Formats: sequence, C-alpha cells, structure tokens
Amino acid sequence: MMSQRRGIHVDQSELLCKKGCGFYGNTAWQGLCSKCWREVNQREKQRQIQEDWALAERLQREEEEAYASRHQRAQSQPAITPFNKFEERKTKVKSSKVNTVTKFFTPSIKTPPKKDAGPFDTQSTPSPSSSASRQSTLDSDRAAREFIDFLKPVKSGREIFKQCRAFTESMVYKRDMGADELSESVQDFYQNLSERLQSQFKGSSELVEKVMDEVEKYMMTRLYTEVFCPETTDDEKKDLAIQKRIRDLHWVTIAMLCVPVDEEIPEVSDSVVKAITDIIEMDSKQVPKDKLACITRCSKHIFNAIKVSKKEAASADDFLPTLIYIVLKANPPRLQSNIQYITRFCNPSRLMTGEDGYYFTNLCCAVAFIEKLDGQSLNMSSEEFELYMSGQTSPHWPQPTAASSSSGTAALTQVHNSLDLLTGLGERQERVIEKARQLESDLIDWTDEVEQEVQSALESFPLETQNTTANTASGTASASLSAIDSENIENEQLPPPLQPQMFAG
Amino acid sequence: MATAGAAGSSGRTYSFKVVLLGEGCVGKTSLVLRYCENKFNDKHITTLQASFLTKKLNITGKRVNLAIWDTAGQERFHALGPIYYRDSNGAILVYDVTDEDSFQKVKNWVKELRKMLGNEICLCIVGNKIDLDKDRNVSVEDAESYAESVGAKHYHTSAKLNKGIEELFLDLCKRMMETAQAEERAKGNGASQSASSRRGVQIVDDEPQATPAGGCCSTG
Repeated sequence: MMSQRRGIHVDQSELLCKKGCGFYGNTAWQGLCSKCWREVNQREKQRQIQEDWALAERLQREEEEAYASRHQRAQSQPAITPFNKFEERKTKVKSSKVNTVTKFFTPSIKTPPKKDAGPFDTQSTPSPSSSASRQSTLDSDRAAREFIDFLKPVKSGREIFKQCRAFTESMVYKRDMGADELSESVQDFYQNLSERLQSQFKGSSELVEKVMDEVEKYMMTRLYTEVFCPETTDDEKKDLAIQKRIRDLHWVTIAMLCVPVDEEIPEVSDSVVKAITDIIEMDSKQVPKDKLACITRCSKHIFNAIKVSKKEAASADDFLPTLIYIVLKANPPRLQSNIQYITRFCNPSRLMTGEDGYYFTNLCCAVAFIEKLDGQSLNMSSEEFELYMSGQTSPHWPQPTAASSSSGTAALTQVHNSLDLLTGLGERQERVIEKARQLESDLIDWTDEVEQEVQSALESFPLETQNTTANTASGTASASLSAIDSENIENEQLPPPLQPQMFAG
Repeated sequence: MATAGAAGSSGRTYSFKVVLLGEGCVGKTSLVLRYCENKFNDKHITTLQASFLTKKLNITGKRVNLAIWDTAGQERFHALGPIYYRDSNGAILVYDVTDEDSFQKVKNWVKELRKMLGNEICLCIVGNKIDLDKDRNVSVEDAESYAESVGAKHYHTSAKLNKGIEELFLDLCKRMMETAQAEERAKGNGASQSASSRRGVQIVDDEPQATPAGGCCSTG
C-alpha cells in the first residue's frame, strides 16, 4: 500500500533527509542523508560498544563469583580438589575467551544474531589451553583500541578496520584448517588489502606500509594464540628437536666455528650477551614485526661485536658463523615455532627485500646449519665429532690461541669462585642443621621439664573431687564447671558465682 | 617497503633483491662496499656492516630500490644457498681472476641457480681483482664464452681501483627492470603483480572492490 502510493506520487519532502538538513535522504539509512546517518550511526555504535563492554564486565564478574563459590565447594570435598581446581581453571580460561569474543563480535549492530551465536560457537570448539589467555585478552583489547586510534585520521580507516575485523573473525572459525592454508589466506588478505590501499592512496607507499604494519599488529595480536604453533603442525616436535640438538652441541667453541669475535674485550662480550638476550626475547613478542625487530637488534649487536674485534665492517662471511654461535649459546625457546610463525604470517614485502628479512634469512640459515652440522663443517673428523656428541670427550681448552686460553682461565676463575661460594654455602647449611638439632633437643628437654613440674604439682596438691562438689554452693552450675573450680581450695572463701539474670527491655 | 611495481602507474618504484655469491676472499664485500660507500679498505666506513646494503637509483625516470644481500662464502655454508637466493631478482657471482678454483665455484653456482630459479633470475658473472692482472689464472675468453653459454653477462671489476662496478650494477638493474616488465606484460595489463609478489598468479580480486567514498554507509 505504502509502496504503491510512493510509486504514484512522491513528495519532494519525503525524499529529503529527515533531519531537515536539506540534503536527500535514503530509505536504507532510515530516511537520513549520508552525513546525518553517519552521525546517528556512529553514536549508536558507540553506545552499543559501551553496552557490550558493560555486559562483558558483568559476565566476567559473574564468572568470577561463580568461580569463587565453586572453589569453596571444591574445598569441602578434599578428595577431588586437585582435579576440580584444574577443571575450574579450564572453564575460567574458556569464559575469559568467550568474553573477548563477545566484546569483538557484538559491536556490529547489523548482525545481531552473532551476539548470541558467538559465545556458543567458540565454546563448542576446543579452546587451546593457555594460561596466558587472560593476558592475551588484554593484549588484543589494547591492540584493537590502538588500531582504531591509528585509523581514525586515515582516509576510509573505518572500512579498513571493518575488513580486518571481519577477516579476523572468520579466521577463528578456520582454526581446524592446516597451518599452510591459514597462512595462505592471511597472505592473500594482506596482498588484497595492500593493493587496494595502493590504488586508494595513489602511490604513497609509506602510508600504505604504515597501515599494513598496523593491520598486521592488530590481526596477529588477536590471532596469536590460535595460529602460533598450532596443533595441526609438528612445530612443537621440531622445537624440541632443535632444542635438544643445540644442547648436544654445547661443546662447540668459537674456534671451531671460526667466529671472528674476541670475547676478552669487555665491549665485545657485552654485545654478545645483549645479542643472546635479544634472540631469547623474540619468543615473548606476539606480532611478527616485533619478533623480527628482536632478530634485527640481535644482529646489530653481533655486528658491533665483530666490528670491535676486527676493526672493520662485518661481512656475511663473519656474520653467519657468529650468529650460529649466538644461537648455540642462547638456545632460544620455541625457535622453530617462531620461525614458522614469522614465515607464515609476516607481511611478505618485509621478508622479501627489507633489512629485517635479511637477518631473518640468516637466522633460518643458522638453524639449518645447526640441524645439519657434522664433523666436516667444524673442520674435524667424523669420529672426533661422534666422540664429542656422545659426551665421551670434551675439547681441550687451554692450548691453541691466546684468546681461547685466556677465556679458559676466565672460565676457570669463575669455576673457582662458584666452588668457593658452594663451600661457604655448605658450611652455613651445616651450622643451620646443628642449630636445628640443638633446638630439637631443647624442645624435648622442655617438654620433659614441663611434665615433671606438672607431676610434682599434682603430687603436692592431690585432688579431692568428692569433697569439693559437695561443698560448692550453687547446684545450678554444671558438674564439670564445679570440678574445675574445686582445684582451688581458696575457692571456698569466695562468694558464690554471679547468676545470669533477665532484665526486661 | 613497496613491492616492485606496486606503486602508481607514473612514478612506480621497483624493488629488487640481489644476492652476492662466491667463494670467501674473492672480494664480494669490497665490491659492494665500494659501490654503496665508495670506500675500499677504509677505516672510516660508516656502516656497521657490509652484509646487507641498499641503494636507491633513478634509471630513465624510474625509481629503483636495490637491496644487496651478501652471503657467507665458506664452503661449509654452501648448502644454505637456496635459503639466501629464494625470491631474488638478480645474482652477482664473483670470482677472483687470480684464482681458478673460485671460477669453478661460480660455475657450480650457475648450474644450481638455473636449476632452481630458471631464467627468471638475471645472472652476472664478475671477475674481480683485475688490478692483479699479471697473476691472472682465468682467461678472459674462457670466462666470457662460458658466461654467454649460460645466458649470463660477464664483467671485469676492481674494487681496489673502482673499475667496472658502477657499470655492473647499472646494467644489472636495467636487465632486472626489463625482466620485470616482460613478466608484467605476460600477465596482461600489468595488474600490479611483480616478480617479488608472493604468489605468482592471483590477480583477480574475489572480494568486491570497496566503494571509494563513504563506504561504510552502503553496508551499514
């Protein structure tokens, strides 16, 4: 009926924006013009977001209360407490995940059903057991806020955010996919987005780069727990393998690798320590770019060490052996997982041509070298290599160059210092034990003493129970009470105990 | 960093990755330091390192970003080559004209590169240290005919005397640009794909193109 009427006769005023700003409106925007609609829509969305936050917080509180009460119940059933606790933790982890999902799923008002669907879907899929889940929730919240802040001044930033969020959401459902497929779809997304941005910003590649960095940061912070070392791959197995391998190679020296670094110089050993710290720190970062930054920092320290030792700019011939040495010394946690994660989810242009990419490639080389390392690559016979690997012999330290021998003496003095410390510690422990024994015997003596005193007291004042009960005046007092009173003979001179009395009002 | 050919049509920027291969001590590092810093055996080299260097060029109005990757030349690291030269647009294979053995190494590299990367990579064979010409052990004819037989270009350089290095890199850049352009044409309309893009084929956008202005309204 309405549409019919409109079809026949359309009044000019009906086409105008309902807010009366003079522009034409659109039924799709509730009769508002684009500007007014955006305003209204924005406000509504903002409100929605705030509501969602409130809801999420409320859920969190409820969950915590529930947790507390369940915890109490669990304590009253001591037999199954440990298991219960574990279960509790699991549900807690789950619930905090659910909260995140609610937070991020709901702000889109155009798809209200998702609000309800979201939590259930995530709950039905197995949630990865991660104690850091709560932390990651905070992280991803912060990442989202930073991302939004960053995009605010950017042209069509809203569009970019929407796409990224939609994509990230869709990734959550693809968790069961293989790691390569996940990587493929993330990389496709990067590529499509960057191409679109290129045409949008008309070749301002710096801005595109910046936006892409933020996109990567936002998306990977959100997806980190899902896509880092996923269960569908054997990354973890490889991690353990390389870790064990590096541990087995503990005997490899600077001289064997021909590392041009002289650790005797304080600045050099300082750089080496910093390099080791940086490469270990890589595991603690979530965004591929940050991980790469750790590798780059590590490399810069290595270059510094080489430059100070050799007094000339480091070439790749010097750099790679030193990096291998650093990796062997550091044994960085989850090395393979980190490398795989960066390869899969880093913005490809950075890995391809940038400086970070170069250092990352060198790290990959170092790992590949360590995996395939044999006697030949260390300039020794394979028999010798086997002996070292099996731990039957260890390389001779003190002979060859001045550097290695003095580093040997440095190690020796360190060993001596540690030994001194240990002996000191042992002495103090013995003293503690002696004192403890003394205390024990003192305690035993004391209990004996007390017992004796009590005995003697009892003997000097024998009990006359029968007598005293008869003598106590008030019959209302209970028998036990009078028995206690009866121990004191002077009691008889005391007035009778006060009786409780009722006072009206 | 923008990938090659990803910029707008007029002021496009090419990004090329070039690997330096060759035995240790043939002067790879000196070569690249001379090119990027114009220094040789100098105590005042400003860079901390000489293993990753970049150079910005302008060739016939086109901007080119060159990333030069030095590789460890020791024999025991030979097996790591594929990790280094993956996705590279060009390779500079350096040998020492006084060292026949280093030329053999170059031949090995050429074989390997052609096998792994085909003709997409531009190869340069460089005989370095021509200032020591009196001790030459690799004949000019042998080297040049070999280079031609494998579709590579041959250059003679001296990092010490700064000879032939500019030409080498300029020539290589031009060739890499040609290769990139040819590749683009082959893909039709040059839809911002390049040799350095991760996946070779995917040109078509599956997702609908975002509306240029106020895109939020159409879906809101």
